[in-house]
Amino acid sequence: MESAIRTEHLTKIYRQRLIAVNDMNLDVPQGSVFGLLGPNGAGKTTTLRLLLGLQRPTAGRAEIFGRSCGPNAVDVRSQIGYLPTNPKFPGNLRPIEYLDLLGKLCRLPSQRRKPRISALLRTVGLLGATDQRIETFSTGMCTRLGIAASLVADPPLLLWDEPTAGLDPSARRFTLDLIREFGETKTVVVATHILSDIDQICDHIGVMHEGRMIFTGSTQDMKRRLRCDAFRLELDGEAEDIRQLVQDLAELEGVDARLGPGLAVLVQMTEGRSRAAALAEALKLVDTTNLLLKAIHSGPNATEDAYLQLLQEHEAHGFHR
Amino acid sequence: MDSTVEVTRLGSRLMPYLAVLQHDLITLRASRLVRLWFGATVVLTLLLIAGNWTQFQDGPLIASLLFPYLVFPWFFVIVVLGVSPVSGSRADILADGILSRPVSRSTYLLATWSARVVLIWGVYLVVMVPAVLLVTLAKRPVPDDAVTLYGIVSAIGIVGLVLTFLTSLAFLAGTVLRRPLLALVVLVFLWYPVGLILSVFSLEEFSPISLSQAISTQLRQTLRTPETPADSSARAEETPVVPRQMERFFDVFSGAPSAPAAARPEFFEGGEFGDFSLLRVVLGYGLPTLLTVLLALLCFHWRDL
Repeated sequence: MESAIRTEHLTKIYRQRLIAVNDMNLDVPQGSVFGLLGPNGAGKTTTLRLLLGLQRPTAGRAEIFGRSCGPNAVDVRSQIGYLPTNPKFPGNLRPIEYLDLLGKLCRLPSQRRKPRISALLRTVGLLGATDQRIETFSTGMCTRLGIAASLVADPPLLLWDEPTAGLDPSARRFTLDLIREFGETKTVVVATHILSDIDQICDHIGVMHEGRMIFTGSTQDMKRRLRCDAFRLELDGEAEDIRQLVQDLAELEGVDARLGPGLAVLVQMTEGRSRAAALAEALKLVDTTNLLLKAIHSGPNATEDAYLQLLQEHEAHGFHR
Repeated sequence: MDSTVEVTRLGSRLMPYLAVLQHDLITLRASRLVRLWFGATVVLTLLLIAGNWTQFQDGPLIASLLFPYLVFPWFFVIVVLGVSPVSGSRADILADGILSRPVSRSTYLLATWSARVVLIWGVYLVVMVPAVLLVTLAKRPVPDDAVTLYGIVSAIGIVGLVLTFLTSLAFLAGTVLRRPLLALVVLVFLWYPVGLILSVFSLEEFSPISLSQAISTQLRQTLRTPETPADSSARAEETPVVPRQMERFFDVFSGAPSAPAAARPEFFEGGEFGDFSLLRVVLGYGLPTLLTVLLALLCFHWRDL
């Protein structure tokens, strides 16, 4: 698969003091929805700004669709739709005026620009706010306008930085749906630290920590890294029956069981024990009791666990790296 | 090649520049500072005309109208307008909204600079042209003055050029120093003693005070004044002035002892202002204007946003 974004030893050091991006090698396949994941200050935004040419790399290089990034790489920026975190706009303008300005910056002729603006405002649900000045917009409306702004020139690559930051649940759902929809026709890079967003929309993930890219690969690859050797049975019934079940489960080979919070039982398998076999035996035991099985959980959040595991590993082995 | 295609291509190339220019002009026009400035300059101009209606001839009266633009107080407004485009909180908006689009930094910077220059020239001309027409065409109880059309156009042009230079200087300061307030303070401390600084380099003819004094004389000049033998000798004397000024300029920086100056009356000595050179003034303000814009472009090109 061809690369939409490729970086080689990309490094950004601010004033010889702060390493924001550290020797980053990244390859984002075309047509993927790529989640750039990392805690606050990991270097995600700096990476995006380096790709846009808003900042210059201290070392290394970045390419988008095979073209070098830089402050004057106008042809590269024409391929990118950028949504910054908490986007700032000229407050004195109205949405149509702002999008028209951006359309002109993208050299869109009037006959293409006007219908495009109208379609975008409808897509992001701002048709009802076209006569309001942007300074009166709420955070959610600003994000919607930012999304529309990033799509003005219909670019093949979207770089969205924290697109769901500060949004209410419905606006968040709307944004995630949009990303999923655009992921079918475009390459989308979403920088975030919200793991559930990544879990829902991304097929590829890059994990950044302290300026380094500590993992890149598919979402499945990342989840496979997690040692999933525990599950939780959520039950309904008498407490005495549950205690009995725990005792029975503990007698199974290679299985450790204990009472969890509420009416739950935590089942832990020892290394080498087949997870499927252990689960099947546990379920058989549940079936012999008067208990009602309400749910089976294989962990709080697989992506979250894998992510935290990666960060811990990186911190533990950072010196060797 | 079809000329329509060429025009369309040129229009497409210029579209971002024109878009930023138009946007900045609209924003500036709507700003309180510009509205206040426009109102204040109209009021001040009317007060100056009314106050000197029966006292000054055309030349001195027009010169008095131009004085506030050259020295005080409009210098301050122009500097404030110039320092802000790529500094302060505006930098975030432009990085997020404009420079992340397919626009080069030089296009953006030139467009914002042009917007400021166009606005300042616009306000200046909208106020000055009717005022000058009023002063020159009205019957006033003062003796007739030999003010010429060429003199008026060149005097207004000189002041406009100084305003353009000031805008560019403020633009450079705002770009280099990043903080508008700091840039403003630096420029105020630089501009007010500018006469003193220029005299160190023997360039006092370019100081705003000297210019405002010379404008009365310039207003009476004609485009083709017949050259008298005295004029010819003056022109012959003027020829080596520019190299001498350059030499003096570099001597001050290098610390080298400068060559003893030929015995010549000091500039404007005697108050005749006859040795005022329009060409030298145009070059003296025009070239630094270009230089400041170029420096601002270079500085902005290397900056991280």
